Amino acid sequence: MNIIEIILSPLIALFTGIFFLGLARKIMARIHWRYGPPIYQPIIDIIRLFSQKAMSHGFIFEMGLILSLAGSILVILFLPIGTMCPLSTGGGLLVILYVMLLGPLGIALSGGEAANPNTSIGISRKFILALCYEVPLLLILLTVMTHYNTISIIKIVERQSINGWSFGSLPLLLSGISYVLILPAILGIRPFEVVGAAQEISSGPQAEYGGKYLAFNTIEHGLNEFIGIALFVNLFLGGGDLFGVFSRITNTVFGNIVGIIVFLLKMIIVFVMGLFINAVFPRFRIEQAIKYLWIWPTLLAFIGLIIVIIVN
Amino acid sequence: MSLELLIIIAFGGAFLTYFLGKISSKLRNGFAVLNALALVVMTALFYGQNIEKPIHISFLNIPLILRMNMVSWFFAITIVGIGLLSIIYSLKYIEHEKKLDYYYFTTLFINASMLGTVLCGDLVSFFIFWEMMSWSTYLLISYRGGEKALFAGMKYIIMSIIGSMAMLLGIISLYVNFGTLEITALAAQIQGASLSYILFILIMFSIAFIIINAFWPFHTWLPDAHAEAVSPFSSILSAVLVRKGMYGLYLFMYMIIGLDILNKLTFRGISFNGVFCWIGAITIIFAALTALLQNDSKRILAWSTVGQGGYMILGVAFATSLGMAGGTFHILNHCIYIGLLFFVAGAIEYRTGGIRDLNSLGGLIKRMPVTFTGAIIGVSGLIGLPLTNGFVSKWLIYKTLILGGNPLLAFFAFLGTWGTILYGYKFLHNIFLGQLPEKFRDIKEVPFSMQLPIIILSIMVILFGVLPGLALKVVNAVGTYLGFESLQVTLGGIASETGTLSTVNIFAAVFVACVIIGLIFKVSRRSTKVDQFDSYAAGAAVPKDKYHYTVSFYNPLDRMISPYLKDFVDAFYINLTTFIKNLCSMMRRIYTGYIGNYIMYIVLFLALLILVQLKWSVF
Repeated sequence: MNIIEIILSPLIALFTGIFFLGLARKIMARIHWRYGPPIYQPIIDIIRLFSQKAMSHGFIFEMGLILSLAGSILVILFLPIGTMCPLSTGGGLLVILYVMLLGPLGIALSGGEAANPNTSIGISRKFILALCYEVPLLLILLTVMTHYNTISIIKIVERQSINGWSFGSLPLLLSGISYVLILPAILGIRPFEVVGAAQEISSGPQAEYGGKYLAFNTIEHGLNEFIGIALFVNLFLGGGDLFGVFSRITNTVFGNIVGIIVFLLKMIIVFVMGLFINAVFPRFRIEQAIKYLWIWPTLLAFIGLIIVIIVN
Repeated sequence: MSLELLIIIAFGGAFLTYFLGKISSKLRNGFAVLNALALVVMTALFYGQNIEKPIHISFLNIPLILRMNMVSWFFAITIVGIGLLSIIYSLKYIEHEKKLDYYYFTTLFINASMLGTVLCGDLVSFFIFWEMMSWSTYLLISYRGGEKALFAGMKYIIMSIIGSMAMLLGIISLYVNFGTLEITALAAQIQGASLSYILFILIMFSIAFIIINAFWPFHTWLPDAHAEAVSPFSSILSAVLVRKGMYGLYLFMYMIIGLDILNKLTFRGISFNGVFCWIGAITIIFAALTALLQNDSKRILAWSTVGQGGYMILGVAFATSLGMAGGTFHILNHCIYIGLLFFVAGAIEYRTGGIRDLNSLGGLIKRMPVTFTGAIIGVSGLIGLPLTNGFVSKWLIYKTLILGGNPLLAFFAFLGTWGTILYGYKFLHNIFLGQLPEKFRDIKEVPFSMQLPIIILSIMVILFGVLPGLALKVVNAVGTYLGFESLQVTLGGIASETGTLSTVNIFAAVFVACVIIGLIFKVSRRSTKVDQFDSYAAGAAVPKDKYHYTVSFYNPLDRMISPYLKDFVDAFYINLTTFIKNLCSMMRRIYTGYIGNYIMYIVLFLALLILVQLKWSVF
């Protein structure tokens, strides 16, 4: 069972992530009154990219990319998808927080060796942005961990299926809102598209990737979107639980499948809402992003933490 | 084998090295390495022993007591280990400097006196060794001479003396009250003392230990001293010497005073340990944010030393067995990776002709692959990436803070880690990544004797990251010696009811994932290697040799935070010194040094007395 989960959950993440990329292009196109590419376009692109000529800048250029992909896959193994969580007893949310660092760091190392200033500017912006959204994000995660008094993400999901979603519970409401406010920054979509700004710094960290490197980078991008949203769904929207409707069939194979489907549906809803924001906003400058992230979401998250400390 | 032999070899070796240097430089180098190696072997043999041994060299009627226990052993092995590597590294690094006999002598002497501080069992010898350590450190910080190095040394010694004086006051007070300075006897007698007296003693000693640990607000000496010292010595400074402060805190907080009394030291909800926790949290944030604005490779590392100290005290002051394990393990881990990183910075200095400025380096990965590997492993450890040693200790500390119901402290600790990523990456990127400037085209890798310490420490970072159980056993023994509950240590981490950590699982997962992705990489179409100038610039022309984005790497963030990040403590100290200087020069107007003036003062004073007598006849 466990082996199947270990193989299955990265695959689900992979396809969902790439599907998200296609969905994003389609929905954006429709909002712009265009027809848009087919939803499976990214899959075609990735297959094509693997057969194209690629240029390498050296050992770390390749290893960084591999490392970041491995890191993202590792995070997915720690994240519950519905009721499925392959590495459930591995250290919990703290480990997730730390393994999440591998992704951006790997890309940064790889991009660093590419010796392209656009790449370096993009990486510097990525780190600054990450430092900024990490302030509210850490506060939010600590609030959740304090509220449920555990560091295990699975227990957090379990509690929600008993007590109702965190987003609906009063002590965690402010933290939930704060997470929604920083979600575009985590996903790197507008108004926080400062890292991969195509018009300014020729797509930043991915400027030097071509061929298979670009393919891997696209996959990594898809996985990142998956992780950002999956974390939100797990922490605030109750994971694979749907108001206890399917509680009678939990622990059966069919129940597990339903759990995964519910989970993915929730993710799609969150993602599409993010796309709507992406469609109507212009891009922030990095200073504006810092100011925004360090004022409103941080304030909300901080008040949320204080409330939880007082309530407990 | 006895403990006094260890001390004698440590000090004797230092002096002998100096005199051998007068005969032949090769003999001196060989002997210094052998001496350091002997100390490592001997200290390792003391593992697990519990010795307390008075030696009758009476001073003030107090015998010299040597003792060895788990805590002493833990600190001693880090001292001699880093000492050995530093000496090996120095062989080539320092070769073209002057006063080499003096250099080797002082390095070995500092190591010996540090060893003395952790091995002695009474406070008089503790104080003597401590002072020997402080003074010889001053000599070595200013070793290269020059205005900056002298200023750094002066800053260090002034702060250090303030600490020593506070400690001396505490020692005298203890002697007056209890009539003994033996640590075991004190530990027994102090249990009956009043809480306010214990608080006074703790504060007096804490001042000394906070200063040497460079916690905020006494951190200001450290960045200057670490940056200006020669690199092998910066390693010693940062890895072990600074952590003598942690040993001092262990000694006073847990060995002498004990957990029971510490828990009682609470005043209106503010506990002694709580204050320490907050000092740690402020130190972490302040140092992390300051470090990412630095442009000097060694200054970045120096500020990181300040910041990592915050994690240790957070774990240790939280005073649970988990936190204690985290703090103790972090001392060891920090010792390993910061030693490594200073060696790396030194290697860069060695090959580029003393360049520490991060804005004028770049692309060295192609020329110095071993050093780069050391740097990336060291920085990963510093950040605490999974599969490096720093991860395990930080995981323990975070878990302590969250389960201990203190999410705010945990928040500061986490945020500090993000700051660490920023400056760690800046360190890697600006030195090793990006484009290689034309002037560094012919740079070679450092000689083997400089690579060796880098390789050894890199292996240890990974080893303790994948199999933390090896070190956690010792860490756990330190905790149990200090009276904390024993943890269930497994080879791959820690098992407990509230959450297990298994680094072996993580390692396996990363390894398998890397292999699979690597295989896909291999089977897909092969890539061609291209030159560094063959890059995409969106149609713009590429100016050669000016194409490395390093200067003000985090500029937008820099502009936002630097107005709020003034080191007002340092400014206060500097102002204080200027004020005292001015005061002294005003005094000099009176004490001119001319006999004539002094005679005039005397005559004037006598005249005044006569006047007073004639007018009011008071005498």
